[in-house]
Amino acid sequence: MSDLDISRRDFLSTAATTTGALVVGFWVPSRAEAQIIHPEGAAWAVEPGMDEVNAWVVVAPDETVTVRIAQTELGQGVWTSNAMIVADELQCDWSKVRPQYASANRDGREMAPAWTLKAPGNGAQDPNGGGEPEFGDRNRRGVTGIPDTLYRRMRTNAAASVKDGRYYLQLAGAEARERLLLAAAKMWGVPVEQVTSKNSVITHGLTGRTTTYGKVASLAAHTPHPNPENIRIKPPSEWTLMGTEQKNLDVPIKVTGKAVYGIDINLPGMKWAAIKSCPVYGGTVKIYDFERIRKEPGVISAVAFPIPNPALIRGRIFGGGVAVIADSWYQAKTAVEKMPIAWDMPPQNAVRNTANIRAELLASLDKPGKVGVNTGDCDAAFSRAAKIVEATYTVPYLPRARMEPGNATVLVGDNRVDVWLGDQSPQETRYSASQITGIPESNVYIHLCHLGGGYGRNGNGPQAEQAIYIANQNRGTPIHLLWTREEDFINTTYRSIGVARLKAALDADGWPVAMEVRTATDAEAPGTTAAFDVAARYFAPNYRFSYHSARIHVPVGTRRGVGAPAQHFYRESFMDELAHAAGKDPYLYRRELVARTNLPYKADIIRALDMAAEMSGWGKPLPKGWARAIGFEERGAETGSHATLSAMVHTVSISKDGKVRLERVDVAHDEGFGLVNPLSVKKQIEGQIVWFYNDVMHQECNVEDGHVVENNFDRFPLSRIHEDPPEINIRFFKSGHWLDGMGHDRATSIQSAVCDAVFQITGKRYRDLPLRNHDLTWA
Amino acid sequence: MAIDLTVNGVRHSVDVSPDTPLLWVVRDTLKLTGTKFSCGIAQCGACTLHVDGRPVRSCSLPVSAAAGKTVTTIEGLSTDGSHPVQAAWVELDVPQCGYCQSGMIMSVVALLKRHPKPTDADIDAEITNACRCSTYHRIRQAIHLAAAKVTAAGGKI
Repeated sequence: MSDLDISRRDFLSTAATTTGALVVGFWVPSRAEAQIIHPEGAAWAVEPGMDEVNAWVVVAPDETVTVRIAQTELGQGVWTSNAMIVADELQCDWSKVRPQYASANRDGREMAPAWTLKAPGNGAQDPNGGGEPEFGDRNRRGVTGIPDTLYRRMRTNAAASVKDGRYYLQLAGAEARERLLLAAAKMWGVPVEQVTSKNSVITHGLTGRTTTYGKVASLAAHTPHPNPENIRIKPPSEWTLMGTEQKNLDVPIKVTGKAVYGIDINLPGMKWAAIKSCPVYGGTVKIYDFERIRKEPGVISAVAFPIPNPALIRGRIFGGGVAVIADSWYQAKTAVEKMPIAWDMPPQNAVRNTANIRAELLASLDKPGKVGVNTGDCDAAFSRAAKIVEATYTVPYLPRARMEPGNATVLVGDNRVDVWLGDQSPQETRYSASQITGIPESNVYIHLCHLGGGYGRNGNGPQAEQAIYIANQNRGTPIHLLWTREEDFINTTYRSIGVARLKAALDADGWPVAMEVRTATDAEAPGTTAAFDVAARYFAPNYRFSYHSARIHVPVGTRRGVGAPAQHFYRESFMDELAHAAGKDPYLYRRELVARTNLPYKADIIRALDMAAEMSGWGKPLPKGWARAIGFEERGAETGSHATLSAMVHTVSISKDGKVRLERVDVAHDEGFGLVNPLSVKKQIEGQIVWFYNDVMHQECNVEDGHVVENNFDRFPLSRIHEDPPEINIRFFKSGHWLDGMGHDRATSIQSAVCDAVFQITGKRYRDLPLRNHDLTWA
Repeated sequence: MAIDLTVNGVRHSVDVSPDTPLLWVVRDTLKLTGTKFSCGIAQCGACTLHVDGRPVRSCSLPVSAAAGKTVTTIEGLSTDGSHPVQAAWVELDVPQCGYCQSGMIMSVVALLKRHPKPTDADIDAEITNACRCSTYHRIRQAIHLAAAKVTAAGGKI
């Protein structure tokens, strides 16, 4: 079918017969933008039918304020928090705000205004400033750093959407407000200093005249700001909307089934693709027999796809595979599962299994690694130690396993590519689409949908590249690729399997005089220095940290928290072990060792420990079979820059037959100079509590004959509501720095805390996760 | 072979293979995309809808098993979010990514039909849907709130 086969009449009738359903219509590619139907729950960029005030703000005559959001909503609340940042400065009526994704296509064609490029103020410890978002390189692909294209950083990762975006979103809101005021002043012929605005109403104080944003928006669109470099942003003391609890703006469409996720896209003439990819990473298709399934219902064709070019797909090697294209997805999936496929599997990968991978990582600990920190003289201190404590910990491979399986819908025309998907990095996808099709990036349109979970860039896998590849072989036909759950496990990236050996020399009073930390992961794993780099978080006068690695074929990536969850588990577990070895209280032991450091925010860490302990009733008696354990999570504790600090006490019970229950969690959490949306932060903390409980208790992926074994929710269990703790108490405290995000490495302390509770109650110390592999009974 | 079924009060005759899971008939044939696909093996509950008032994991139920029956999906609960369970979800700001919530809400509606005032133990035993964002803390509160709303409105759900 060619693009031209869809007449306007067909398009309208399709749209009309599917009221209440999600059918996205389009016309010919060159005019596609104007012809795309936008269902109620769709969130992608739409060209407005009116002038915009600036690239972030459009005010309609009915006072609706459209705020363009450059990050993707995947449950973390960015849809609301980033709109709040703009709206607080804009001083518009919050009830009229409608977020919409920013256009990645436009981002590829326009540069960021100069007035957004310089962070105001003096870094992360200046409450009046913008903090210091790391520009890094300004690579327009958006892989690293912050590009200087229109919407700057469109990646959604590293819990950095607020941290990196706040000041320029504040600037964008302020610039729009000032121009709306200029327009009103011009209309009235009065000096701009005499007009003010609140809740979208502009007032001239001297005469009492009023107008609204909607009435002057088109005039404002043609009223340039005379001096945008001098725009001042509000410090937290002047915030009116930010800092208040606001419900997420997308909740109403998420309880009625109207929110549009990538999987929901349905275009006229669209065909579905289901795939089988090589279960062993790095493998390719040797041969497949399409004739055997050609006559299956609905089947149209098959396309083999190669291992995606790592230069296009963010540097990771997956496997090649075959897609079957059919009228419906269920037909395509049924057919591809019946089709004989022979694979070329790299023999060196096909012999890998969990045991030999772990053994190689453990062996790497004894070889020279990269030295992260080496202060003092560890060897000398160990030779004088009163007592030496050593422990080896291991963590498994973990996928993100978001609920929405990977999918993307792609239409490649003669000189235009349209991609509909939930995507955490549309600038990269724009680049990939152009590279695969040979169509310039300026003709690539990414229609962003909500994501059914992200948890560390799951919406960043090769689903887009696979779909673009398949659609490029079927130009003119929209192709919707959808992975089965099992394919999602093959085509995701994993938090690397990891091991660590921690060793401490204690003096006669039980305090560490030396500490040596060795960790090992896949050589390509990100975040390997988290929690241990630059300086010890718990004081030891002699401290050595080295990190080691092995080359493993399983693709690794940035699962929620990146390196921090594993490394926090090692560090906090070891602190519990040291405290027990020293015969000291694990809370006070930690407190003293933080107090002895020179960490820039040590007062905040101590405050968090004290507050969490006090909230939990630390030290008060508990029933038999119950225990409390404390831990501290940090991001940025070692520098004077952005940081997020929290401490939690976890109260755990274990029945004699080994049933674990997280009874209560008390959270003391740093709010920096101020949280944008405290409600959203609470929800993120609540979610991460169960997330990391799930990790410590149940989740692991093993490797056998080179492929991942646990590949669906029968063998890879997800915690359910009965594992949510009955009591969660969260308290915030102010601190003197901007936050470094909190969507991904909070509540990591649950891992060490549950293990320590197991030790306190059962006397058994387990150092390898998950605990479901262990006997937790006691008598 | 045409299969007749009533979905959200509308009678349909669908021409699909009888072993097609009900989920795909609802999503692909009838274009009701509020019901989600996730595991495909009746584990996670993202595809939960009601057949003759009972919660069903539609990814694993052949459409032939729903022939002649009444199907209710999230779209049939209410289109404006006015159903007490949806209203409780909004009031307590339950969803994060939201992907599992259609199925979760359908499971909760079924729970409240059986247990108008569910205990925490009832909830633990009967709400077996998975939420990867782990919004469970608010889900539990919202179930109790929804139960109170239903009672206040005369008990009909």
